[in-house]
Amino acid sequence: MKKQIFIVPFLFFILILLAFFYLLMTERNPSELPSNLLNKNVPKFEANSLIKNEKFISSEEFGNEIVLVNFFATWCKPCLEEHSYIKRFSSEKKIRIIGINYKDNKKATINWLNKLGNPYSDIPIDKDGRIAIEWGVYGIPETFLINSKGVIKYKHIGPVTEKIYKKINILVEKIE
Amino acid sequence: MIIKKIFIIFIFISQLLLSNSYSVEPDEILQNPKQELRARNISKNIRCMVCQNQSIDESDAPLAKDLRILIRNQIKDGKNDQEIYKFLTNRYGDFILLKPTFKLNTLALWLLPLLFVVVGIFIIFLHNKKSKKI
Repeated sequence: MKKQIFIVPFLFFILILLAFFYLLMTERNPSELPSNLLNKNVPKFEANSLIKNEKFISSEEFGNEIVLVNFFATWCKPCLEEHSYIKRFSSEKKIRIIGINYKDNKKATINWLNKLGNPYSDIPIDKDGRIAIEWGVYGIPETFLINSKGVIKYKHIGPVTEKIYKKINILVEKIE
Repeated sequence: MIIKKIFIIFIFISQLLLSNSYSVEPDEILQNPKQELRARNISKNIRCMVCQNQSIDESDAPLAKDLRILIRNQIKDGKNDQEIYKFLTNRYGDFILLKPTFKLNTLALWLLPLLFVVVGIFIIFLHNKKSKKI
């Protein structure tokens, strides 16, 4: 009986080992940062617009169609890298894109967009990073896919690459 | 030789003191010391999401600074600590807390070490009893 008791911690250890093994084998990306906003409504916020004379009011902008929200700035190099893909979403896929201009200079942004092209339907200005916190942003660029009910369905941290561009397009087709 | 020893002790002590470096900038500090203390205590438990295992109180990252300012603004607005934690976890998840909360999906995290200790003590107890008999 007593000898059998000593088997208990051994079995316990095996069980934990199996649990770890299972977690290792299942498809997970350890570098993926968790997002708490997935499947939740877009955060409510108001901001001045860079390209329009009226205020950007989020509750009026989401919930009618699929929208991409892209946090960007002219000082951010990866934003420059992904800009061609953001333009492709707008020109090839006809997706409405809202670009949130993060801690940037107004003039520099206008010049940047004039030079590279403007894929954004509106550009709310996030002067102090407060809107980014509302969206749980870690660092720009970040891109969110919002469905036609105004719910966040996907979030990508970092620049949009060819792989991510394809992934988002598949997701758009799925949620359409 | 003695000078060398004193030098080593000096380096050791200075490292101990320096390890508690904080990144709060003068313009961030609240005028009310009680409110500032609350802000510091909350900041020490909030993870800097873009750093390696640092709290926002210790980090120079821009996001950490933004979060420190946000916490201080919320304190000034009369929010209590729980409301501030809830605001942050709603946006960044429990991952933002350096000390995980005690709830159903963190139960194993909190209770397993305790279970290991209890099982360990039990085994030692049985083993001792057995060896005494021999």
